[in-house]
Amino acid sequence: MTTLIVGASAGVGRALARALATREHRLILVARSRRDLEAEAAHLRLSFGVAVKWIASDAASPQDLLQALAALPNADPPIRNLFFPLGIARADDDGLLPPADAAALLNVNLASVMAVVSTYLPAMLTAGPGNIVGFGSIAAIRGRRANVVYAAAKRGLESYFESLRHRTAESSIRVQFYRLGYVDTQQNIGKKLLLPKASPQWIADQVVRNLDRDSGLRHLPRFWGPVGALLRRLPWTIYRELDF
Amino acid sequence: MTAESARWPAGAISRRHLRSFDGGVGIECEVQCPDRYAFFEPSGTARHAIPRGAGLSYSAASFGADAVSVEIGAFDRILAFEPAVPIVEVEAGITLGALFRFLAAHRLYLPVQPGHGAISIGGCIAADVHGKNQARDGTFINQVEAIRLFHPDHGMVELSRTQNPDVFHATCGGYGLTGVIVVARLRPRPMTGDAVDITTHIVPDALEGARLLRHLARESDFVYSWHDFTRTGRGFGRGYVVAARFVTTDTASRGSSTSMKVPKLSADSPRVPPISALNRWTMPLLNFAYFQAQRRHSSPRRSTLPQSMFPVQGSESYFRLFGPAGFHEYQVILPHDGFAEFLAGVRREIARKGVAVALASAKLFVGAHDLLRFSGEGICFALNIPRNQRSAGFLTALDQMTIGLGGRPNIIKDSRLPRSMLEASFPECDRFRGIVQRWDPSRRFRSELSSRLGL
Repeated sequence: MTTLIVGASAGVGRALARALATREHRLILVARSRRDLEAEAAHLRLSFGVAVKWIASDAASPQDLLQALAALPNADPPIRNLFFPLGIARADDDGLLPPADAAALLNVNLASVMAVVSTYLPAMLTAGPGNIVGFGSIAAIRGRRANVVYAAAKRGLESYFESLRHRTAESSIRVQFYRLGYVDTQQNIGKKLLLPKASPQWIADQVVRNLDRDSGLRHLPRFWGPVGALLRRLPWTIYRELDF
Repeated sequence: MTAESARWPAGAISRRHLRSFDGGVGIECEVQCPDRYAFFEPSGTARHAIPRGAGLSYSAASFGADAVSVEIGAFDRILAFEPAVPIVEVEAGITLGALFRFLAAHRLYLPVQPGHGAISIGGCIAADVHGKNQARDGTFINQVEAIRLFHPDHGMVELSRTQNPDVFHATCGGYGLTGVIVVARLRPRPMTGDAVDITTHIVPDALEGARLLRHLARESDFVYSWHDFTRTGRGFGRGYVVAARFVTTDTASRGSSTSMKVPKLSADSPRVPPISALNRWTMPLLNFAYFQAQRRHSSPRRSTLPQSMFPVQGSESYFRLFGPAGFHEYQVILPHDGFAEFLAGVRREIARKGVAVALASAKLFVGAHDLLRFSGEGICFALNIPRNQRSAGFLTALDQMTIGLGGRPNIIKDSRLPRSMLEASFPECDRFRGIVQRWDPSRRFRSELSSRLGL
């Protein structure tokens, strides 16, 4: 089966590609950097013997991304799985981002995912079993003064995947959404975090193990579920004083 | 982009307490963990940096107080493979264990590799490590065809014996001081079997062990000796010489190579006893038990390739037993005609200083010496001792003997090694400095090791 991963060159995306390659998925990798994709594709072909194609495109422009995907020859066998382990956050996302920068954040974290899903979903609905897997963030649990646009985009993504799950409920497509806690990637290097980081490999293993299940939204690691519930129920008078 | 953000190495930085594997040096350092090729962009302005592989160097080669450690662990991929030649092109962060699994599936292996699969290929090149039969296979440089090296002033540069040969030779065994090794083209060798037959020869002392090493090195795939230096009287240095050869068995043995698991090995183990469990009272017992266990083994005995290639795997707790202070490894190459005198001196100093030797081991080395590499003709002899008040004086005495006998220490194995020892035993250290200075007049790369040794 063929699997498309958008955001495949590093972090959770790269770990997912390797975990799926061990299950003999044919892979189409999408990311910004040609050099990173070339290296990862070569490694997957040589180490796991799987067929790998790659497309270098920036998800900040959904149109460019769709154009690049359209240039791909028809996947054989057809694409059955879509993974979206992509996301970008900015340290200066404090509610005062210029509109163009905010739009780019929305595009990467939300609009590009919607664009790719809408492109492939019609064929997937008729092709048989498959998976659409999205990745959100604990930042979307409750809005705060940091990661303003990022959190909004990720919360929008949650809503989109909830709708998608409802839309495909009568089909053999499984829609899964993971709200990720701290992950040991570039995004969290050097930060003082309240709770431990999960490795991308661990996340990928959990996700791949859970494929083909109608699991809806899950937290990874799971302890973020109760932490998130607590955070949501915190009275505003207390929440507004938090500096995080 | 601001001028500050354009400085190399650009990106998120964390602060970590890094420690040499022998526990002798610990420094609070800045660390970067790039995972994309965009990191390797030339830059007119750069901070001091030093590449870091698995962080398992006994000396502090991959960190320093005023240098950003650039961890290359995310660059762990196999980029190209030409089985007919055979050549494999890998990123420098790939571990020996991962590459071994890949090559074993194609019935190939790297003849020169140290004893644990967690070590990175970049680290092996930067320290020009040796394996289990240097006399036949040489050091790691012998299986390196080419290197892609990053330096912020030069960008990505190809190095080989014909392209930038001086920098190639200074990079293999250059302790990361020429730049970041990003990619290496390596020349593996066909495996002549899928298991290993190990023969153990009991020897009365280390001198007899050395004689046997010279005899067995030509006909063995691996050969080394182990000796008990905790005994007194006639039993001092008794031990055995291990000689191993590849043998062909069945496909089941092959499976153990392609599925080999590499245990974690770290310089910062969280589970260390509060005091050293290896001391003057426990070590004679442990050495005695180890010697008897080896003697009881049938000889020859069959072993899997992973067990033979990576004998340290499964013995990670040995290093933890030294406790929080750590240990010293003293490894030197001694001329054949000075080995007996060296052994006598070691015995004298053990008695004088009351030092307990946890491990004594020897290998045969042949070939010429070059730059700062641990190479040359003679007997490579190693001692492990606990790091304590007595150990410093003991090692200083050994330094004097080594210099006097024309020996040479292993820079990567000793975080204590003084600059005077380097100057006295590496006649080509100024040539090394000259090559690095011409390649990198701004000297962008530095570490605790380079500062201590004046490199």
